[in-house]
Amino acid sequence: MIRATVSTTRRRFLKQTTVGILALWGGGALTVLRARQQPPLAIPSGLTFFSGQEYAIVQSVARRLIGPDSRIGPEPGQADVALRADRFLSEADADVQEQFHQLLVVFNAPFFTFLFDFRLSSFLAMPPDQQDSYLHDWMTSTFSFRRTAFQALKRLCASMYYTDSVTWEDIEYTGMFLPGEPS
Amino acid sequence: MIIRGDAITGPVRESTDVCIIGSGCGGGASAKILAQAGRRVIVLEEGGHFTSGDFDGTEETAYQKFYRERAGQATEDLAVTVLQGRCIGGSSTVNWCTTLRTPEWVLDAWARTYQVRDLGARELEPYFDRIELYLNAAPEPEENHSPNNRIILDGARSLGYRTKVNKRNVRGCVRAGACGLGCPFDAKLGVDRTYIPDASKAGAVFYANARAERIRARGPMKRVEGVILDERSQKARFEISIEAPVVIVSGSAIHSPVLLEKSGLANSSGQRGRNLTLHLTTAIVGLFDRVIYPGGGIPQSALCDQFLNANGDGGGFWIEAVPVYPALAGLSLPSFGEFHRAMMCLYPYLGASIVLVKETDSVGRVSLGRSGRPALSYRLGQRDRRVLQSGLETAARIHFAAGARKAMTLHAHPMQFASEEEISPALATARWGPNDLSLFSAHPLGTCRMGGDARSSVVDGHCQTHDVPGLFVIDGSVTPTSLGVNPQLTILAVAEKSAEWIAENFRSLTS
Repeated sequence: MIRATVSTTRRRFLKQTTVGILALWGGGALTVLRARQQPPLAIPSGLTFFSGQEYAIVQSVARRLIGPDSRIGPEPGQADVALRADRFLSEADADVQEQFHQLLVVFNAPFFTFLFDFRLSSFLAMPPDQQDSYLHDWMTSTFSFRRTAFQALKRLCASMYYTDSVTWEDIEYTGMFLPGEPS
Repeated sequence: MIIRGDAITGPVRESTDVCIIGSGCGGGASAKILAQAGRRVIVLEEGGHFTSGDFDGTEETAYQKFYRERAGQATEDLAVTVLQGRCIGGSSTVNWCTTLRTPEWVLDAWARTYQVRDLGARELEPYFDRIELYLNAAPEPEENHSPNNRIILDGARSLGYRTKVNKRNVRGCVRAGACGLGCPFDAKLGVDRTYIPDASKAGAVFYANARAERIRARGPMKRVEGVILDERSQKARFEISIEAPVVIVSGSAIHSPVLLEKSGLANSSGQRGRNLTLHLTTAIVGLFDRVIYPGGGIPQSALCDQFLNANGDGGGFWIEAVPVYPALAGLSLPSFGEFHRAMMCLYPYLGASIVLVKETDSVGRVSLGRSGRPALSYRLGQRDRRVLQSGLETAARIHFAAGARKAMTLHAHPMQFASEEEISPALATARWGPNDLSLFSAHPLGTCRMGGDARSSVVDGHCQTHDVPGLFVIDGSVTPTSLGVNPQLTILAVAEKSAEWIAENFRSLTS
């Protein structure tokens, strides 16, 4: 069956999320506070774009998106996806930056997890299997803007992870062929 | 001479015969022809100037430095990623070297439907001949095809479909597979390695990191106003102002109409920014028992065009190989988590073919968006959607015929086929809305279309705007329809022909 192709523009997405944020402030202050109390991952110093909580959201999303046995983390030999995303987004255009901050609020806050999926906790507070289920709901949502948001997160995390050469060994990527190598 | 932004120490104010905005296929070829004809030429390029020493064959460097919006340019709903180069040489610096002539039936349709004169196959043939020679464009011998290209050649041939071996603009290619990341071996003969050095030798001056912001056109003289950018921060450092009687906008089908919109020019027809076509692209990924390694070897040397204009409606699809680097695979492969990771870990055994749609009823538009950036909208038409589905079915069959154990589309929710029989029923249930399927484009076209009627087109057959004498658009914007082939040779030929006309008529243009 062909689905309607009514597109969600960035502007419309911004408007929708702005309305949502106002609703969040009005009706969900307590749950936001609760979300902020979640013990996040170790937050590196020197973040230039993300807040500590945003860093934790992106790192947690990346772990679920990239999948098992990934090398996500701050140690040498690991790809710190959220830190790389922080550097990447700090150089993005102002409107992209604004939208991304809003996306992370909408994605994580309990008010919205309840509104969209009747879930009672923030994304950060969910156990891994619920995080996967929540991400799946965004990926396949009938709301175009949720699919758009999922793709934005996936593209960011996948590109930040797989452009880091420490991740290549796992997938047997050895880079471009060099002269003299079989091709 | 190429002047980098960081070498400039103050505001720039110059006058010249011709100011060209953009240094890709349209701008680079125009600069060479006009400079060699004795005209003073200044070219403004928003991106940086990079050479083989800057190309390290990694996606991180390439996307960060050589691509528009760091390879993140997309339609407003993020449904279609639109890849474009942003550097000296434009997209030719990072394309996959496919050099194909415009099909004769496309040129015939332009003449018939849009009253485009003097751009028929006969008129363009000497340009195609000359450019192919200049770029050393030649088909690859059989033994050079990568395993990823062999999927198309072997699979399509065994099904009885027509295949072709592409001409490629290379000399001394080492088959590294890095074409899309900038060639570290100076083997790709892109505009940055051919037209631009020759234009420079003939006296053209190129400003890299120089972004045109507005064109002022009152009377015969025009002024291009812009800024010199800091190479690293991309922040404006100084103003640049170039006066010239002839201005050529060659910023691509995305950025040329937006610059004209900012300038309030060339829209009496109401068509500026409309008619965007993308050669909408998605892919079939096959899982093979043998090593394919889709990021290595010649990226694109073969195609199957059996189903292009097959029923004479000017639409259809064709299938080409696609180089798949890790990040591109990561963001394109379906789903996430365990499934996605399992597929990524099979990377060496994945083959990928792209399906490109020559659109007939999709509707696309570029306009000036918030913060001055282009806003792209694109709605997939019903016919084109069916063509896309048919293309995926065909590409999946080709993969099975070439020995794939499994094939999958790029639908967000995984759609896999274990046999040929599963393809059609599965695709019949697929979702096709925005972001249900990963879609790409590297060929935006048509947003300042050419035509004989000023009421329905932006430029005439010489690429001169109907509205402003001496103001030209020479790039992928001017094609009245999508092409059905990779566009670089078409743009180069149209650019050479138009630039020759400008050189011959320069006096009348400036009086």
